[in-house]
Amino acid sequence: MSNPPHVIIIGAGSTGSATAHDLALRGLSVTVVERGEIASGTTGRNHCLLHSGGRYCVNDKEGAIECIEENLILRRIMPHALEMNDGLFVALDDEDYAFQEDFLAGCEECHIPAREIPVKQALEIEPFLNPKIKAAVQVPDGVFEPWRFCTSFLATAKKNGATIRNFTEVSDLVFQGSAVAGIQVFDHRTGKTETIGADMVVNATGSWAGIIAEMAHVNVPVAPTAGVMVTIGTRLNNMVINRMHKPHDGDIVVPVRNTSIIGTTSWRVTSPDAIEIPQDQIDKMMHAGELLIPSIKAGRQRGVMAVARPLIASANVDARDFSRTFEAFNHRKQGGAAGIITISGGKTTTARGMAEKVSDVVCAELGISVECKTKTTPLVSYRDFYN
Amino acid sequence: MNLYRPELKRFRFLRWFDFRSWRLGMLAYILNRVTAIGLVVYLYLHLAVLFLLAQGPSGWDPFIQIARTPWFLMLDVILLAGLLIHGLNGLRVALTGFGYGVRSQKPLFIALMIFAAIVLAVGVFKMFMG
Amino acid sequence: MSLQVTLKILRSRPHQEQRYDTFDVTVPDAANVLDAIEQAWAHHDRDLMFRHACHHASCGTCAVRINGREKLPCIAPVKDYDGGEIKIEPLRNFPIVGDLVVDVAPFFQNQEASDFIITRPTENELDGKAIAHTQGLDPESAPTVPFNRFENCVECGICLSACPTMSADYKFFGPAGLAAIKRQLDKTTDANEREKLLHLADDEHGVWRCHSAWECTEACPQSVFPAESIMALRKEINAQRFKKFFRL
Ligand SMILES: Cc1cc2nc3c(=O)[nH]c(=O)nc-3n(C[C@H](O)[C@H](O)[C@H](O)COP(=O)(O)OP(=O)(O)OC[C@H]3O[C@@H](n4cnc5c(N)ncnc54)[C@H](O)[C@@H]3O)c2cc1C
Ligand code: SF4
Repeated sequence: MSNPPHVIIIGAGSTGSATAHDLALRGLSVTVVERGEIASGTTGRNHCLLHSGGRYCVNDKEGAIECIEENLILRRIMPHALEMNDGLFVALDDEDYAFQEDFLAGCEECHIPAREIPVKQALEIEPFLNPKIKAAVQVPDGVFEPWRFCTSFLATAKKNGATIRNFTEVSDLVFQGSAVAGIQVFDHRTGKTETIGADMVVNATGSWAGIIAEMAHVNVPVAPTAGVMVTIGTRLNNMVINRMHKPHDGDIVVPVRNTSIIGTTSWRVTSPDAIEIPQDQIDKMMHAGELLIPSIKAGRQRGVMAVARPLIASANVDARDFSRTFEAFNHRKQGGAAGIITISGGKTTTARGMAEKVSDVVCAELGISVECKTKTTPLVSYRDFYN
Repeated sequence: MNLYRPELKRFRFLRWFDFRSWRLGMLAYILNRVTAIGLVVYLYLHLAVLFLLAQGPSGWDPFIQIARTPWFLMLDVILLAGLLIHGLNGLRVALTGFGYGVRSQKPLFIALMIFAAIVLAVGVFKMFMG
Repeated sequence: MSLQVTLKILRSRPHQEQRYDTFDVTVPDAANVLDAIEQAWAHHDRDLMFRHACHHASCGTCAVRINGREKLPCIAPVKDYDGGEIKIEPLRNFPIVGDLVVDVAPFFQNQEASDFIITRPTENELDGKAIAHTQGLDPESAPTVPFNRFENCVECGICLSACPTMSADYKFFGPAGLAAIKRQLDKTTDANEREKLLHLADDEHGVWRCHSAWECTEACPQSVFPAESIMALRKEINAQRFKKFFRL
């Protein structure tokens, strides 16, 4: 084992980026390889919502608590890369209104600061909101920008000695006996294939995790489910507007910069690469958005995007490690190859927390014990990634 | 010719002439540069002609003969056009350059060029008919 | 319904001759050019290098030239090109890394030099409607904080590619960089910081290098109006000099 141990992270989405930062801060030698641009996978194309947990506080309390904790940490460590404008949960009909009680109770239980505000005041702050709303609750949602989110983590990792290689695609794994001892990569810039040795490989390729896992002769059954989002060419809301009911298709309008993004649906796809967007999904989305903000109907559609969630199909419960809110596999413990750990799922909001947990496992496997300091370490500017 | 070869280096400015990317502002920019070169060339020619003057009527009169031909008058038209375009556009550049009329730089350019065209038309009429 | 398009993409690598490759792809009606490029990558050539992340004009990574014009392909509908051939080339005035990928490092270093922060206080900008000054709910410290939002500039580099001065002077600070200085100047009241920013702009390769082609403002996909910022900076610098000269 090299000193400090060398860890390779495959995939520079939110999970891989945060993990790179965590391990570099712990003093390990880190290399990140990403086949394309930073955040060109699921992370780039997500809904940009920095969850307060409100969306999950009734159905998935564990997830909600994780969200609010990470939300507060991110506000401290990357304040410059966030729009911190809160979110509004609005009740559109009687059914939604009846749900409010559960919702407020859920928020309280999960320690999510929530404040009921009079409809009149809500409409003052959000003049484009459906005037027929019956109730509104303010929660500390926020908006992040996926690419700058990842590059902030990577810039900080780089400052702490990590090497980041984009446009470098993993084509195979290198074995020593039955254990993974490195990777074989194809560098698109130079057209050369090379091998990089490692003491541990972290597979953070999200929807593509199954392909890398296959190279390690282990099975990670990924079932990519796509979601579509529609961007409106004007900003129609200050805060994130959520519909106050159980999570459903198209019930959130996220404002980013000078646009509003409506999302999202879900349908099964066969491959996570270059998803084609069915028109009926777009129509569905527009309709759901119009219920919250009627002006969306007249708005100019500026962009449409779809991307796959890295859901693990029929995950066998024993195979799950450390948390229920995302999937992480220490393949050695399941009788598979040593030297590789797969992490997938979760949310961008909780990326730092996921990184902390996977880094703890990496360190344990390597037999070292260093404390995680990412909770309190402010990130450097994302532009330092290019320094 | 491929204007985007990496080896182009010092001649990258040739990319100005990729007409696919031309818009009004770019056109004005290129016109200003081309007319500027034209005017500089003219200044030297002018000096050469003045030199003829120093040689007395023997050098000057044949020149005036040539200068009266329609072909030569055409050159005068080009000169006048260059002067008008460069001068008037220069006015716009100076104004906007100090922060005035920034929002209306495009209409300003069009208006000035229409004005230039009118003056040019009058000038041509005078030259050939007057 | 779907559209058939032919993409003609300029391919370059340090170890290869430059060439145009043609890809026939089929995309849904609602697709943008970036989706078509991604299809070409997914189904025809996995070695095609291009940058992309958000697909909704927020990250600024995907900027290329489509038929000679600088565009964000993520918001350029394929429909607009009417089934014809679409020629895609990397941005100009940047060193090429490979295919459609250019080296944006010097650009980002400039942006950093201006201390440009990508968030700013909300300025009643909801589609022209004025909003009451609102307060957010900060769970941590003060009970109320003002709303903020991201700056319009996505740092895509399109204005640098469209700028004719940029192709003559590589040291030019560039439209986006100068616009960033102006934005930062508006946000700060600190005298030292203002002095530093004006000093940065008042340079041979700063505001004085601009020769009024207005291409940056025309090409900018985000209505940043960089040229106007440059002119406003000049005005400010001149006013400052005037005051100094007459000891006002
Ligand atoms: C529609 C939708 C909306 C969402 N909205 C939100 C939201 O609002 N807020 C939130 O917090 N979360 C949201 N999420 C969840 C979040 O986006 C994902 O959980 C998160 O982005 C996963 O990140 P990741 O790093 O695991 O995967 P990815 O971002 O997919 O990263 C994997 C990376 O690995 C790379 N890769 C793949 N194969 C290779 C290889 N062979 N060699 C090298 N690199 C390789 C890929 O290019 C990719 O960049 C949303 C998800 C979806 C689908
Ligand atoms: S000013 Fe406009 S064109 Fe220039 S980088 Fe910013 S968004 Fe892009």
